[in-house]
Amino acid sequence: MSALEVTFVEEDGTVRTVAADAGQTLMEAGKGNGVVGILADCGGSCACATCHVYVDADWLEAVGAPDDVEAEMLDMVSDVRRDTSRLACQIRLTDRLNGLRVAVAPYA
Amino acid sequence: MVATTEAAGCPFTGKGGPILETGSLIDPEISARPKAYYDAMRADDPIHLDPKLGMYLVSRFDDIQSIQRDPITFSVYEGYNAQYAKGYFEEFKQILERDGGGYFPDAIMSDPPYHTRIRKLMDNAFSAHRVRELEPRISEIVVDVLEGMADKGQVDVVKAFSVPVTIRVICEQLGIAQYNADNIQRWSLAVTAQIGRMQNREQMIENAKGLCELQHFLIAQIRDRQDHPKEDMISDLVHARTDDQAEPTLTFKEVVSLVRALMIAGNETTATAMTNMFYILATQPKVAEILKRSADDDRLLSRFVEELLRIEPPVRGLSRMTTKEVEVGGKLLPKGAHLLLMYASANDQEDVFPCPREFDMERSNLGRHVAFGGGPHRCIGLSLARMEIRVAAREVIRRLDHFKLDIPVEEIRYLPTVATHSIEKLPVSFSRRV
Ligand code: HEM
Ligand code: FES
Repeated sequence: MSALEVTFVEEDGTVRTVAADAGQTLMEAGKGNGVVGILADCGGSCACATCHVYVDADWLEAVGAPDDVEAEMLDMVSDVRRDTSRLACQIRLTDRLNGLRVAVAPYA
Repeated sequence: MVATTEAAGCPFTGKGGPILETGSLIDPEISARPKAYYDAMRADDPIHLDPKLGMYLVSRFDDIQSIQRDPITFSVYEGYNAQYAKGYFEEFKQILERDGGGYFPDAIMSDPPYHTRIRKLMDNAFSAHRVRELEPRISEIVVDVLEGMADKGQVDVVKAFSVPVTIRVICEQLGIAQYNADNIQRWSLAVTAQIGRMQNREQMIENAKGLCELQHFLIAQIRDRQDHPKEDMISDLVHARTDDQAEPTLTFKEVVSLVRALMIAGNETTATAMTNMFYILATQPKVAEILKRSADDDRLLSRFVEELLRIEPPVRGLSRMTTKEVEVGGKLLPKGAHLLLMYASANDQEDVFPCPREFDMERSNLGRHVAFGGGPHRCIGLSLARMEIRVAAREVIRRLDHFKLDIPVEEIRYLPTVATHSIEKLPVSFSRRV
């Protein structure tokens, strides 16, 4: 396991850089470190959209696009969905994502 | 009365009024047709003490959200147990211990950290991606049931469609090959009646008997999977492990309670949603028209399912109990206050869902509805439920047309319970789609 760092910008602008392990999901890294707004009601099963983040433009390519199941879930929150939207529980952290930066999306 | 939504061009939804002083959620009329009661609560008394029921009804979206997100202050464990077999609990428990193989408290109706451990041990079986793999098999079941009724022209959809489909799906998921669907339906109602608050002693005894039968049936299945694991949910639970050193597996008692919970929780709720789908198709021709053009449009079907759950949530009220004095929505609640979270009311709140009584599949915040609850207790079966309802919608609309209710809307009857809003019987006529 290698130690990575990922950064969340919370809804009120607070910047939180947290340690994570490769193999964890971004949701686990956020929730485990108490990032505000990463609620993860469904425990990471891609079924609630309470781990919604906007991926920083620089990281979009490395992170990749949502698959069908995830895209459908994101469609249910289209009021706050952007082109950069992802569900954090569906992003598996790897060495390549060391330094990843995302903003936490609002949850009504 | 003042129409609050006129400006937005919605049909009038009502507001306030004397119904709060005189009525109760357990009055059969209000229980069956509760919208005006919900509206009055949200407008005049958002956390309303219903004296007949002895509970605070929490009616507003924000209050429900904040309660769900604080599972320690608002205990499911205490709330559920105060509700369970109320008035007859000791006798009920004795019957199960004597005739039902034991009394198995509901492991999932608990609070963190215990609840967190249980959820972790269950999560495996339920991811959205895993459920996706079930789609072909669910389609087969739905099509099989539909083909059996498509040429009849008229059926009670509860009996002919909703109940058989959901029972077959959940039994298949659990890995139960041989069963009597009538028994399962009866057992299901016997279990849900325990949190319904509308059974008398005679009914309690009858229901307890049903529960005893259910437990014996499930215990036999569980014993079998202990020795012969298969690819099914019972095996998943029997053999589930976490990396928790002290308690890495579920106890036998926990497994019995969880298999029972899955069989029941996934049954009446999903069946009710399917019945509600026929109700919408028969009463809202515009929605039926849109669907007819969209049987292959996955996005639209998903939105149909969510809007169906928003506008007619099968589960309308589950309970919590305060573990300390706490203020919610401007009201100070004492420790030990028994609350009922009125999901159906939150889903009808105008400033969250504009024109709430309009069936609008294009709402931009559809995912916010609380038909599945929220917070750490959010429905664990929601992906399976969504999939079942979506497949049902697709196959029904492909095969049937010209839906018509065969009884006046006012004559539809609902099960007597505060926990769900379930149509008992829905005669619908239709033709085969050409
Ligand atoms: C349309 C169908 C369904 C609806 C409307 C529904 C609704 C709900 C709601 C509102 C809760 C929240 C309870 C709370 O906050 O206290 C819940 C919890 C639960 N549901 Fe569902 N449900 C459905 C289908 C299913 C299915 C198919 C299963 C399983 C196969 C299932 C299993 C459960 C379980 C085990 C819980 C307890 C979760 C916990 O407390 O952690 N449900 N459901
Ligand atoms: S945690 Fe529910 S979708 Fe990510």
